[in-house]
Amino acid sequence: MKTKRLMLFLMLALGALFLGACSGQPIANNWPGLAADAERAYLSTGTFIYAVDVKTGKEVWRYPAEADNNTLFYASPALTEDGRLLIGSVGHTHSFVSLDAATGKETWTEPFLGAKGAWVASPLVMGDAIYAPNTDGFLYILGMDGKQIAEPIELGGSLWSAPATDGSLLYVTSLDHHLHIIDPANGISSDPVDLGGALPDSPTVGDGGVYVGSFASTIEFVTPNGSHEVLAKASNWVWGTPALDGGTLYYADLSGNVYSLDLASGSQNWGVVQPDGPIAARPLVAGDRIYIATEEGTFYALNRDGQIVWEKETGGKIYTTLVLSGELILVAPYQAEFALAAYDTEGKQAWTFTPEN
Amino acid sequence: MNPWEFIIVQPLTNLLLWIYDILGHGPHMFGLAIILFTILIKVITWPLNAAQVKGAQAMQELQNDKEWQDIQKKYAKDREKLAQEQMRIYREKGINPFASCLPTLIQFPIIIGLYQAIIRAMAATPLDMLKLARTVYPFQNLENIIPLNSKFLWMNLGQPESIPVLGFALPTLAIIVALTTYVQTKLTMPATANPNDQTAAMSGMMSIYMPLLLGWFALNFASGISVYFITSNILGIVQYASTGRANWRNLLPGGSKKAPAKK
Repeated sequence: MKTKRLMLFLMLALGALFLGACSGQPIANNWPGLAADAERAYLSTGTFIYAVDVKTGKEVWRYPAEADNNTLFYASPALTEDGRLLIGSVGHTHSFVSLDAATGKETWTEPFLGAKGAWVASPLVMGDAIYAPNTDGFLYILGMDGKQIAEPIELGGSLWSAPATDGSLLYVTSLDHHLHIIDPANGISSDPVDLGGALPDSPTVGDGGVYVGSFASTIEFVTPNGSHEVLAKASNWVWGTPALDGGTLYYADLSGNVYSLDLASGSQNWGVVQPDGPIAARPLVAGDRIYIATEEGTFYALNRDGQIVWEKETGGKIYTTLVLSGELILVAPYQAEFALAAYDTEGKQAWTFTPEN
Repeated sequence: MNPWEFIIVQPLTNLLLWIYDILGHGPHMFGLAIILFTILIKVITWPLNAAQVKGAQAMQELQNDKEWQDIQKKYAKDREKLAQEQMRIYREKGINPFASCLPTLIQFPIIIGLYQAIIRAMAATPLDMLKLARTVYPFQNLENIIPLNSKFLWMNLGQPESIPVLGFALPTLAIIVALTTYVQTKLTMPATANPNDQTAAMSGMMSIYMPLLLGWFALNFASGISVYFITSNILGIVQYASTGRANWRNLLPGGSKKAPAKK
């Protein structure tokens, strides 16, 4: 009888383990977040945020000191002008912290724990306020000391991307298909603009409005008063924020097409440019090159005519947007042998970073 | 795509999203879709559940059988002989000892698949969203379907549920999950007059462990799963009650010791 009881207990324990292993919630997973300044790259991947010296590729610090499965980090950290790093957690506690970018030490007496959902989006600092969108559909407004300075604004849906600003208004995208235009002076949101598909990434601010890509496979231009028009269509979902460079808008889709839209004429600058896989990362424009990263783990340097200048394979999948630090291009592949790598503008690898246990 | 994804998770996820699409994507509709989805799966697996109930009853009746009780006493110290006699009596009475557990084993992948389908459909992170995009069949209009409206009644189906009561977060759904699991387990637990009945003893333990286990899941996991558990439990109770063999006395303290009324 004791054996049977033991067997029953083991069966239930195994069932619990099995179901736990199958679930999405406790082991939330995502691709890494990445930001950089002239001295360090900041990589958020799972239980740690790593600061990596961009000259040597060596770890400078990690946060927290000990891994905690309740505080997983995947959002790209936001860097402030006074040398701080702001980032929220995807883990159960939904903590939002401020770190000293030089040391990795917390700068608030306690983290902000007021959100009900995970932090997938980066926050935006504007003036003395931090605007932090959360997956619970609220835009939280914090002071630089981490305390709430205004009631959160309920926007609805799930907010996955950092707000954009033209200096006076905030533009916040939601997965519920809506772009929200908010006046930060009074917190008033005008009527949300329905763009017909989920909006997973931030808008790009241009002259007289913003450019937004969506799961409706379109690029739309939206003015501050909410009027909008479709500028171009794509073959599939447009995930990453379009990159604006002068009068040209670069964007890519999940079918792996890269587009170059001439805003003056509304026509495409080149025909089919299709690297080796779906593209979720934003295009990066630097100098006379456009850098594109694909799910196949390859990243490309294109010239202004859409021709491939060089390409590099990482061995993983790339969803994280490439980041420029000085003359180096930083790439953070998902499920690769290394977590972060730096390349010069000619595609020569400078270093790779793999966290040590 | 691995076979598990292709055969189980992908069809179930698409079925769930198809129901949600038909319902019109509005507030509360994903919760309703989970309920309808659970009902549909229960209807499809009804014959399996019925076979399980029948098999369990046959085994239980054997425990109260005078001849079997005599054999157990007679060969209490000779396990080999007891096993031989047990097989003989199974043959004579036409009992299949696997009839009660085989349907459960067949349903187990479906239950796990259901669970994964709900988690997949809710796409909590960008990576999950990409997975969902690859899971959905081309005929579904995913652009319109996502994001799923995860509001249902007072809860967000993508997050664990609780209601603030006097400054304390009361996990209402977890309590209902535990209660309905307890009721279902107790109702399906036949009374026995045999003090050596190991099946009844196992059922007794199940009636304690299962509510605790599922209640723990409901406490910590997305409340969409709790909606599935509650619907499934209620349908299980209804199904068993419809056979006329539900042992309502078991819900009362000491009720399990009394013999159920013969129908």
